Amino acid sequence: MFDTFRDIRWEHLFDFELAIDSLPFLLQGLQNTMIIALFSMFIALMLGIVLGIARMSKYALLSLPARLYISFMRGTPLLVFVFILYYGLPVIGIDFNNAIVAAIVGVSLNFAAYNAEVVRSAIMSVPRGQWEAAATLQMDYFQTLRKIIIPQATRIALPPTFNIFMDVVKGTSLASVITVQELLYSARLVAGRTYDSMTMYISAALIYWMVCIVIGYFQNRLEIRYNRYLSN
Amino acid sequence: MITIESLKKSFDNTPVLKSINLQVHKGEVVCLVGASGSGKTTLLRCLNLLEIPDEGTIKIGEKVVSFGEKKITKKDIKEIRQYSGMVFQGFHLFPHMTLLENIIQAPLTAKQQDKEVILEEARVLLEKVGLTEHQDKFPDALSGGQQQRAAIARALMMHPEVMLFDEPTSALDPQLVREVLKVIESLAKEGQTMVIVTHEMNFARRIADKAFFMDDGYIVEEGPAEEILTDPKEERTREFLALLQDE
Repeated sequence: MFDTFRDIRWEHLFDFELAIDSLPFLLQGLQNTMIIALFSMFIALMLGIVLGIARMSKYALLSLPARLYISFMRGTPLLVFVFILYYGLPVIGIDFNNAIVAAIVGVSLNFAAYNAEVVRSAIMSVPRGQWEAAATLQMDYFQTLRKIIIPQATRIALPPTFNIFMDVVKGTSLASVITVQELLYSARLVAGRTYDSMTMYISAALIYWMVCIVIGYFQNRLEIRYNRYLSN
Repeated sequence: MITIESLKKSFDNTPVLKSINLQVHKGEVVCLVGASGSGKTTLLRCLNLLEIPDEGTIKIGEKVVSFGEKKITKKDIKEIRQYSGMVFQGFHLFPHMTLLENIIQAPLTAKQQDKEVILEEARVLLEKVGLTEHQDKFPDALSGGQQQRAAIARALMMHPEVMLFDEPTSALDPQLVREVLKVIESLAKEGQTMVIVTHEMNFARRIADKAFFMDDGYIVEEGPAEEILTDPKEERTREFLALLQDE
């Protein structure tokens, strides 16, 4: 059973020369990755806030559609959803004509559902006494939400939201299968040409990792800022 | 100022208030006393509609609301709440705001006055509750007594005709109780109308005009605070006071 590992050729593990030579090409691909990731995350966040609040509404007309949406998006693979958008919709006459737009729509609509759940749980974790205190101070629902609840919920939502952000960045790699030339697609092109899949996919992985490290840095800074009112 | 008639409230079919009648006049300080679960806190929370009663009538200031016949509107709730300010057992200051921000938030939101006027008033109130030097600190950095004094100032900023206190010192360490009671006492001297749920019997005797003793959802005894809390006529009131004495 150890046959698999018998003939390892370590010298082919990583070709630094190729990695450096192809880096500019990969970074070009990274541009599309970041365009999709940033637009998607922004839309997913906005939509997630609306969905999360609607999901908590006592009016079934708001909460039921939100629940259905969240259930569907959380329950279907992103790749399948992207296929529906890019290959399915044209069948019925809706054509994005642009794979990047299709990718942004797919990733943002899908991740909005996860953001909605984060928003909902963060808002619910703010103690009821905060709502009551605001109510006795004659603040209405939206004033309370905006001034009292959301600032506190944001602190709680930060770590899971940044988890989602990293998932979004990595999720954009699915755009490569609908022909978007993003980071993974670029790596695959070079790999196909040079037959060095190991070097190229490791390079792509490292670049994704670097992006997520930068995102993690911003998470840290925001957490410090939002925790400043706590003594310990 | 406040008139309550045949007020009833149940939680999941468990009656908590079983026909309450009560009157508070302008300038009066009224204490609600009784064992845990007797309905005092629920009664207090009905006065600003944090709990919506099932039946009965509440008149507070100029506003009358009857319960049970038709649904209570947001407008009813809003109008009722204009008359009262509330101080909670757990303070419920806004943790993400400094004391000063906590205190000016509600008047700023209501936009009834200029910011300058609001700030000036906040300054006076912070001075009065002895927190001027802490005005830029966050609640988490302060003691429970300081937080509760800030909460009192926050409620006063809205100029409530009635202040409602829900066991304002029950969550405090014993050595911090006095500083909060002193603030409440100074309000009493100024003629602020107040309804106070409390277990501090000496305090109640000293500052309250009237006391209501509650048991099992009823007001079983009412009268001048001195009398009710020193020499009650009802057996249940006697038992309750004796229990407190033992502690």
